[in-house]
Amino acid sequence: MIEQQAQESPAAAGRPSPGALPHGRREWIDFVFRFQSLFGLLAVFIAAIAFSPVRNGELLFLTTENLANVVRSVSEIGIIAVGMTFVILVAGIDLSVGAVVGLAASGVAVLMMERDMGVAPAVAIVLAIGLAFGAVQGLISTRLGIQSFIVTLAGLQVARGLARIWSDGQGVPLAYGDGPDLAPEAFSVLNERLLGGLLPVPALIFLTVGAIAIFVLRRTTFARHVYAIGGNERAARLSGVPVARVKVAVFAIAGMLAALAGIIHAGQLNQGSPNDGAGYELDAIAAVVIGGTSLMGGRGTVAGTLAGALLLGILNNVLALNNVDANVQLLIKGLVIVAAAALLSLRGRDD
Amino acid sequence: MRVKTRAPLAVALAVITGLVAACGGDEGAATESSAQAKACGPDGEYVIGMSQANNAEPYRERMNDDIRTAAEAVPQFQVEFADAAQDNAKQVSDVENFLTQQIDLLIISPNEAAPLTAVVKKAYDQKIPVIVLDRKVEGDAYTTFIGADNLEIGKQAGQYVAEELLPDGGSVVEIKGLPGSTPAQERSDGFKEGIAGNPAVKISATGVGDWLRDKGQQQAEAILQAEDDVDVVYSHNDPMAEGAYLAADAAGRLDGLEIIGIDALPIPAGGIKAVEEGRLSATFTYPTGGKEAVEAAKKLLIDCAELPKEQILETQRITEENAADVYSELNRR
Amino acid sequence: MAERPPLLRMRGIAKSFGGVHALRGVDFELRHGEVHALLGENGAGKSTLINVLSGVLTDHDGAIEIEGEEASFHRPADAQAAGVATIHQELDLVPEMPVAENLFLGREPRTRLGLLDRRRMLRDARELLARTGVELDPARRLRSLRVGEQQLVEIAKALSLDARIIVMDEPTSALADAEVEQLFRVIRDLRTQNIGVIYVSHRLEEVAAIADRATVLRDGQLAGTVELAASSRAELIRMMVGQPLDELFPKAAAKPDGELLEVDRLSVLPRRPKPGRSEPREVSLRVRRGEIVGLAGLMGSGRTELLETLYGAGAPGRRSGSVRLDGRELELGSPRAALAAGIGFVPEDRKELGLVLGQSVTTNVTIAALHRFARAGLVNRSRERGAVVQAIADLHIKAPGRLAAVRTLSGGNQQKVVFAKQLLTRPRLLLLDEPTRGVDVGAKAEIYRLLASLAEEGMGILLASSELPELLGVCDRIVVMRAGAVALELDAAEATQAALLEAATASAREAEAPA
Repeated sequence: MIEQQAQESPAAAGRPSPGALPHGRREWIDFVFRFQSLFGLLAVFIAAIAFSPVRNGELLFLTTENLANVVRSVSEIGIIAVGMTFVILVAGIDLSVGAVVGLAASGVAVLMMERDMGVAPAVAIVLAIGLAFGAVQGLISTRLGIQSFIVTLAGLQVARGLARIWSDGQGVPLAYGDGPDLAPEAFSVLNERLLGGLLPVPALIFLTVGAIAIFVLRRTTFARHVYAIGGNERAARLSGVPVARVKVAVFAIAGMLAALAGIIHAGQLNQGSPNDGAGYELDAIAAVVIGGTSLMGGRGTVAGTLAGALLLGILNNVLALNNVDANVQLLIKGLVIVAAAALLSLRGRDD
Repeated sequence: MRVKTRAPLAVALAVITGLVAACGGDEGAATESSAQAKACGPDGEYVIGMSQANNAEPYRERMNDDIRTAAEAVPQFQVEFADAAQDNAKQVSDVENFLTQQIDLLIISPNEAAPLTAVVKKAYDQKIPVIVLDRKVEGDAYTTFIGADNLEIGKQAGQYVAEELLPDGGSVVEIKGLPGSTPAQERSDGFKEGIAGNPAVKISATGVGDWLRDKGQQQAEAILQAEDDVDVVYSHNDPMAEGAYLAADAAGRLDGLEIIGIDALPIPAGGIKAVEEGRLSATFTYPTGGKEAVEAAKKLLIDCAELPKEQILETQRITEENAADVYSELNRR
Repeated sequence: MAERPPLLRMRGIAKSFGGVHALRGVDFELRHGEVHALLGENGAGKSTLINVLSGVLTDHDGAIEIEGEEASFHRPADAQAAGVATIHQELDLVPEMPVAENLFLGREPRTRLGLLDRRRMLRDARELLARTGVELDPARRLRSLRVGEQQLVEIAKALSLDARIIVMDEPTSALADAEVEQLFRVIRDLRTQNIGVIYVSHRLEEVAAIADRATVLRDGQLAGTVELAASSRAELIRMMVGQPLDELFPKAAAKPDGELLEVDRLSVLPRRPKPGRSEPREVSLRVRRGEIVGLAGLMGSGRTELLETLYGAGAPGRRSGSVRLDGRELELGSPRAALAAGIGFVPEDRKELGLVLGQSVTTNVTIAALHRFARAGLVNRSRERGAVVQAIADLHIKAPGRLAAVRTLSGGNQQKVVFAKQLLTRPRLLLLDEPTRGVDVGAKAEIYRLLASLAEEGMGILLASSELPELLGVCDRIVVMRAGAVALELDAAEATQAALLEAATASAREAEAPA
């Protein structure tokens, strides 16, 4: 409000810098807020180093093995969170992703173990299922005008149900080999670490998905549509943005990435169970919020989400390395999420 | 403006990369310390990591307590506990973090067998002794397994039902534990063997209670609604049996119903008391193995001895005849 | 002149933000029972002065005296307690609540048990509304009222708080002529109660009709205070702008040629009729290339609905009749389709419908024409930059930079951004709904010039406006609408304000029959 008035003064017109804000304090605060997720990540990283236990003269937190563990442990949630970012940017939400993880994990296990499919066709089918599931949710939401919260809440139940039907309510353990009733060896690559132990395969997939998403959300017309819809849906529609189409697309993306996370989950645990992924949707949303994306839509980045996911992973890790009591861990994580949200709202004069 | 947006990203990445690089080349360090893990003797100080499947189950809480109590008597031991809360992925991370902390020995009660096998093998391959407690992993990449024989317990339960509870036949409802965990599989298989001798005894329905009391209650409720004729409820553990009791009570079906559980914890809320008070018809002791685990750790780390691959613990059937005696005996420890 | 001190005296008010002086040494005086207009271009300091008076801005130089007593406000509540009520453009009411609850928000009458005393509240509300000279059912939900009626509720609320000074900020910007009359009646009534009214507005004709004196601000300073009876419109403009303005409306140089838009008996039967909307009924009209056609009518006459329908953004329902552009029949299924066909639309409410406020000028300008800067779905930033720079120059958009958030621009410049966005799609037909609402005089002139040059280049323009002088000055032909149908059509040269008003209001009672 105040800056607006400064703006309207004819004296300020034509000045090159944003508003008549002085350099120094105001610009620095704005700067920090814009990159709050990155600074948050850096802060938690430094805190983790500071609180890291030491053994034999080395900081346990900084061992490559441990850092690789951390990135591996957030890979699944991270991939889901990338998809969730797209959905939240159009002011939607997807509560079904955790259940889709279960559907995908048990599905890919069933296809390989009981239907004797190779890795490529099984993965392709499951990804297609995730994509279709998300698209259907998007269609129901846009065509019938039902809020995504409700549609995906129902979708959560449907996905769990489908998962249980598909796998007969049981977990399907994966055994590798060449014969029938055995899964192809190639699938076990999800459990491996490349580059001499530095890069767990799930982490590689996570970072790749993140990189692609960052590119898409910065350079494409699709991205402009997404941000416009989130910023002001009515104005976007009146500007010719194909709102319904874009919304269906973002839900499809979220569904597909959740399925991808489910496939990785089965690979890492050598088992696909229909109950896998319970609660993952909340962790994903937490990562997105900590990363600076507003739940009202129109503001946020994938880079922020990546930082948010890593931040949570590092937090979990440093608490575990210090053997902090499990209940205290929950408390601390809750406080971090609240703090991130508070920072977001402090900065949210825009909304 | 664009320059500014890239700068902090670059700075952050530089810092992180620098720190990581500075600490590279520590695989060597890992091997070094794991070579030390094989070091043993009464003079050392040892950190033991205990990875528990779910602290919320009373049986497991008791297991942790047994370990804690036994370890207190060993001055060289320090035990750290981790709780996976029934989440396989979390338990994998728990073990990884223990390995990062360079523990000297791992005790683990895995949530489910298949998901935890790989990470247990990882520890074992790093020359860290692994004691698997109560639930098994797949394969044999561990030092020793301590637990009661669940197949045997299931068989004894089946025989009890077939010979003493329902000699003339009847229908049994089975409430199972977490499907991927070995005790659930074994107690189910054993039970089927046990009732095989009496073809008139049939399992008419099964539910999955995941070892949890409230889930057991839910499942029992649903089954009692669907099935008119239920003579015996065979529950894989006491909490689920208690849940079934509550469900039967609420449905007014307690009359003539026999409920069997397993665990028989000698605590006021445990199965032995439940038998004494008449809620359960029978239960079977399932020792936690906590004390035995610490004993085994002592042998490995302090006495530098070798251990057999398996240590099977004894079990005992509890009915109203011996409930009170067994309770006071087990509490005299 | 009475001996008693004036109702309000502000002396030497100064306020700066950062290094920018928003106000410098401004004096302002308000007498009892006076309607005093506050004029000035956007950025002249009117809002700042109002905010100082209403306690929103507390850190200022200068003094405020109410009835001779020094007043210092530390927060808006202090100003309110001193009897200053401000009625903003964006009303401070709760749409979902009934009128009565809005009036007594926070001080609802309660029964002895502490529960809400609905009956007394309704009774008191009726009294209050009557005192203000307003006829309304206080049980109605605020949302169901017209904007004009909502404003009157705000005034009633202010009165109930014992306001002695009422500030009205652009009160008529959303009102049609008949409602303006009602508002003026209420204001004149306030005068007799010795209440002072500060009337901030851009509409000089209205100011001349209702105010006694006018104070003009320019660049944060006092340009002068005049008695309106003794002054003229030209003098006011001169004081506002600092120099005499040429004729506001440029001479039409375009030669309309060839049928561009042909609307034939267009009717819309909405699937879910909404109260307060008048869908098109058997509307027929023509717009030629290079022609500017105006849509006149009262609020609720269906102009906006017609424009929305032509843009593919109308109410869903059954459509009959035809719409042809350059001879080709149009489906009008969505704004996207309309844009592709060559139709552009500048909506009435730029903040709600025309802009994404949090985004930059660049993003807002290019969103409708991205395909022109993108290949294979990827946006070519440098081509985009070029187009935006061109648009800013062509339309004289005053902005801190093309990456500045659109929120920080003044109303007139925001409107230009909306124009730029539509023009970038190279439309053949441009639809405009109240294009100069809330826009200062200087920017208005620029917009009129822009429209004239677009028409010269062959664009057809259909322009809905409530400002009759604007319609008469800019358009070639004027179509008057009433209750969704065309009431009258005539050449601008032959039209007079009176004729238009009459056509718009004739048998208004018929028009108000429930839809």
